[in-house]
Amino acid sequence: MKLRKIFSKIIIYILLSLVGIIMIYPLLWLVGSSLKPDSEIFGSVGFIPEKPDFSAYFRAWQTVTPYSMGHYFLNTFFIVVPKIIFTLVSSTLTAYGFARFDFPMKKFFFALLMGVMFIPSIVVIIPSYLMWSKVGLTDTYIPLTVPSLFAVEGSFVFMIYEFIKGVPKQLDEASKIDGCGAIRTLVFIIVPCIKPVLISVAVFTFLWTVNDFMTPLMMISSVEKYPLSLILRLSSDATGNGYEQNTVLAMSAIGLIPSLAVFAFAQRKIMDSITFGGIN
Amino acid sequence: MKKNFAVLLICSALLPAFISCGDMGEVPKKASETGVKEPDGQIDSCKLRFSWWGGDDRHNATLKAIDVWNELHPEIEIIPEYGGWDGWSEKVSAQINSHTEPDIMQINYDWLVSFSPDGKGFYDLSKLTDYLDFSGFTDEILSFGKSGGILNAVTVSVTGRGFFYNSEVYRKMGAEYPDTWEDLISLGEKFSDENIYPLDLDIQSGGTAWYLAVVYVQQKTGREFISMDGKLGFTENDIKTALDFYKTLEDGGVIRSVETRTDEDGNVALYQSPEFIEGSVAGVLEWGSSVGKYEMVLPEGVLEAGNFLSDENGNTGGWMVKPSMLYAISANTEYPDETALFMDFLLNNDEASVAFGTTRGIPASAHAEKALEDRGLLTGLAQKNDEMIEKLDTVTISPYMELPRMKEFYNSAIEKISYDQADTSAVAEELYNSINSYLDKIKVKN
Amino acid sequence: MGKKFYKNSVGTGKYTGLLLIMPFVAGLVLFTAIPLGMSFAGSVSESGTYTEVLQSSDFYKSMAVTLKYVLILVPLKLVVSLAVALILSISLRFMGVYRTIFYIPSVLGSNLSVVIMWQFLFTSDGPVNKFLNLINIESVGWYSDSRHALSIIILLRLWEFGSSMIIFLNALKNIPSEYYDCAKTDGCGKVRAFFLITLPLLRDSIFLNLILQTISAFQEFNAPYLLTGGGPMKSTRTVGMLIYDEMFRYGETGYANAVSWILFAVITIAIILIWKIGRRGSEEF
Repeated sequence: MKLRKIFSKIIIYILLSLVGIIMIYPLLWLVGSSLKPDSEIFGSVGFIPEKPDFSAYFRAWQTVTPYSMGHYFLNTFFIVVPKIIFTLVSSTLTAYGFARFDFPMKKFFFALLMGVMFIPSIVVIIPSYLMWSKVGLTDTYIPLTVPSLFAVEGSFVFMIYEFIKGVPKQLDEASKIDGCGAIRTLVFIIVPCIKPVLISVAVFTFLWTVNDFMTPLMMISSVEKYPLSLILRLSSDATGNGYEQNTVLAMSAIGLIPSLAVFAFAQRKIMDSITFGGIN
Repeated sequence: MKKNFAVLLICSALLPAFISCGDMGEVPKKASETGVKEPDGQIDSCKLRFSWWGGDDRHNATLKAIDVWNELHPEIEIIPEYGGWDGWSEKVSAQINSHTEPDIMQINYDWLVSFSPDGKGFYDLSKLTDYLDFSGFTDEILSFGKSGGILNAVTVSVTGRGFFYNSEVYRKMGAEYPDTWEDLISLGEKFSDENIYPLDLDIQSGGTAWYLAVVYVQQKTGREFISMDGKLGFTENDIKTALDFYKTLEDGGVIRSVETRTDEDGNVALYQSPEFIEGSVAGVLEWGSSVGKYEMVLPEGVLEAGNFLSDENGNTGGWMVKPSMLYAISANTEYPDETALFMDFLLNNDEASVAFGTTRGIPASAHAEKALEDRGLLTGLAQKNDEMIEKLDTVTISPYMELPRMKEFYNSAIEKISYDQADTSAVAEELYNSINSYLDKIKVKN
Repeated sequence: MGKKFYKNSVGTGKYTGLLLIMPFVAGLVLFTAIPLGMSFAGSVSESGTYTEVLQSSDFYKSMAVTLKYVLILVPLKLVVSLAVALILSISLRFMGVYRTIFYIPSVLGSNLSVVIMWQFLFTSDGPVNKFLNLINIESVGWYSDSRHALSIIILLRLWEFGSSMIIFLNALKNIPSEYYDCAKTDGCGKVRAFFLITLPLLRDSIFLNLILQTISAFQEFNAPYLLTGGGPMKSTRTVGMLIYDEMFRYGETGYANAVSWILFAVITIAIILIWKIGRRGSEEF
């Protein structure tokens, strides 16, 4: 009996390790190959370079533009930070409204909140572009950030909504007796209780924004304002440059750093809080 | 309670205002309807957007030229927008449709047909002759930039596709560059033992496969594939001949089959592929204005220009030229004077021409060409190609030939043949019909 | 309309809640309703656009590619993520580490770097083919063979199964272990316990994953656009790519808008079907 248990344990570990290798191998290969000269990249399945050569990273950092990668990191930062703040504020307010208040047409609006998630984004991308260009705001970060002020990510609202419903109502009522209004109750009572989900929302907003490629491709046209995803596209585009392959790989590796760093920083918190939001 | 209700009222009052702000529901009006901004005869300080596509060599050269401009005119700041060719026309088309295109653009030949069929899609350059000096251009070259009789764009350079070969590989194989179609076909057999292909043709954004087949048939029949005003000149049988010719090249090992090519290179451009860099593909058909990127990846002097092919009687007809690219000014620009001044700088200025070198081909402007010649910069493959093509009796490519939808027709026809999905006569019939109905359709629209 | 009593734990205003969700409502109008309206107007502005779409072979080809993609990817991804989640839910050491590793790819999502990397992995002499050679399988022409090109995209999305896995894991955690203890005392085997206890209790999260994955699979655009360009022989040209091509490459705005609306309709029908089949009177959602 005991032997069988150990045996099945070993099987489980082998199975998991196999899957784990498949999951992690492409990333290791990416980093390994970026350290190889071009002629060795496709030599074998192995990814460990014989003589690691970091020069591709220097070339990648320079980019094909007058600006270095640092500039594009900053650009991404200027998009991400307002977007996170806007998303947190607007989604929390909306979720709070749905979770704690009763009002006319509540069911209708809640259904809409769910419904929005099912609309193919490709349907609205062209008209949105036309809208923003009509008001002369294309090639600015406004089309990328300002929509977040309006709780456009239904799944985030839903995540926060679920958490607020988990906060005991007695707490609100106590604060009401203390003479707190709706907003003060939210800030001082509710928000401290739902911190974990707020962190997840922030992290997901970060990841989605950094990974997003279609929206900036549509909205941003001057190279100076490109976020990371577009500079990667410019540099990897076969028709756009005469780059060596290891440089393209090095650039891709650099492009993964922000997402991996934020994930490493917050992984516990986000993995526990996903019930609905873990979509990509 | 009262307060809340008041805020709600304000919100709902603001909402429609927000929406109607700028009539967002409507499609933006065309500049031609709202009135193009006339030149005011003054140079003000401003920011101008300038967009182009190209390879790394062109990006660097252009950025250098912009630096020169900034020293001459610090009051007019240039905001560069650039990238590779893939996806570029899609991006500009979105901009033009929403009237947010840059002030000055490098445009492709067929964009005149797609974006300005009546000549109103771009700025009328004849209004800007205070700044633009056309003395360096022949009337024929200027006419390339006309649409609906209106001068919309100025040709940067005139170019044609020519052959460029890896001289080391040819020497190693003991082979001469081909002069006739027969020579080319016989090379396939000669090279096949070593698993080397003497030439590469593609069905990607370049579409050189169909291009060469068209040249072959044009030379043979003397008919133009598509006329300047968008009529199909080939018969169904001509198209079949073109497709058969392509198949001969593929079967004879002159070029890789589409399948092999996709297999080896995936989505990588030829000049980045190990096959080209290491010499197992030893030739390319490319615009003189764009050959720089192929030259760069091989050791210096290895890539050489070959002859334009003829039939056995020495007939070299059927080869094509076109404006490789043109500069156009947005019909929606706020600063026509300033943009024209900058455009003149790009076309004619000595220092700018030196910075560009031949990264946009041999300049069509005589001033720019002279600037290069004086400094001994008119060298290299682009120049060689230009010299050879001038000696030929060339056909000017119709802008209709280059429309993206048309390219899709040719490329999928070639793909079908290459993958043996259908025989050439069936594919020719389909191609003939789709070209005809598409040309009819866009002419009705225009 | 009769008087309705609005019971609010905080504040008493009938409109406080409405006021709080005002940003959402405004956003709904601005960024969803108006663009949708514009898109619909664009699709019907020229008469015969829908007929043109419904008569074009390109549309059917793309729809077939998309349906094939959805029907292969979605079930595959659900089975894999559920299987892995089940193993990970066994309380053993290092499970946290594995969970993190499995989750990383989905964090990177559609990051362009990942796409570039994937493109390299499947080239003809890339590591995937090298590996196949090692185990005595001939190299596969991933990009050139119309039977295989779609698998590159499917494999990429399958590789990113982490997000659905996490949804399952968190749902599994919420199943009280007493249920299994009871089953055991009743002499119920593991397999039977899975079908009698686990699966029914996971119904909500299976349903959720199914809907989310179906929606995103139907809309697939990035991967074919960047990896295969829709080829060879249009075998990877999804409806998303068709819309993009028609809109931007060929400037056929009306056609593109019409295809988007047809896609929207197809997604809606698919969701309703899943809803009808998979969900009978569950609680609020």
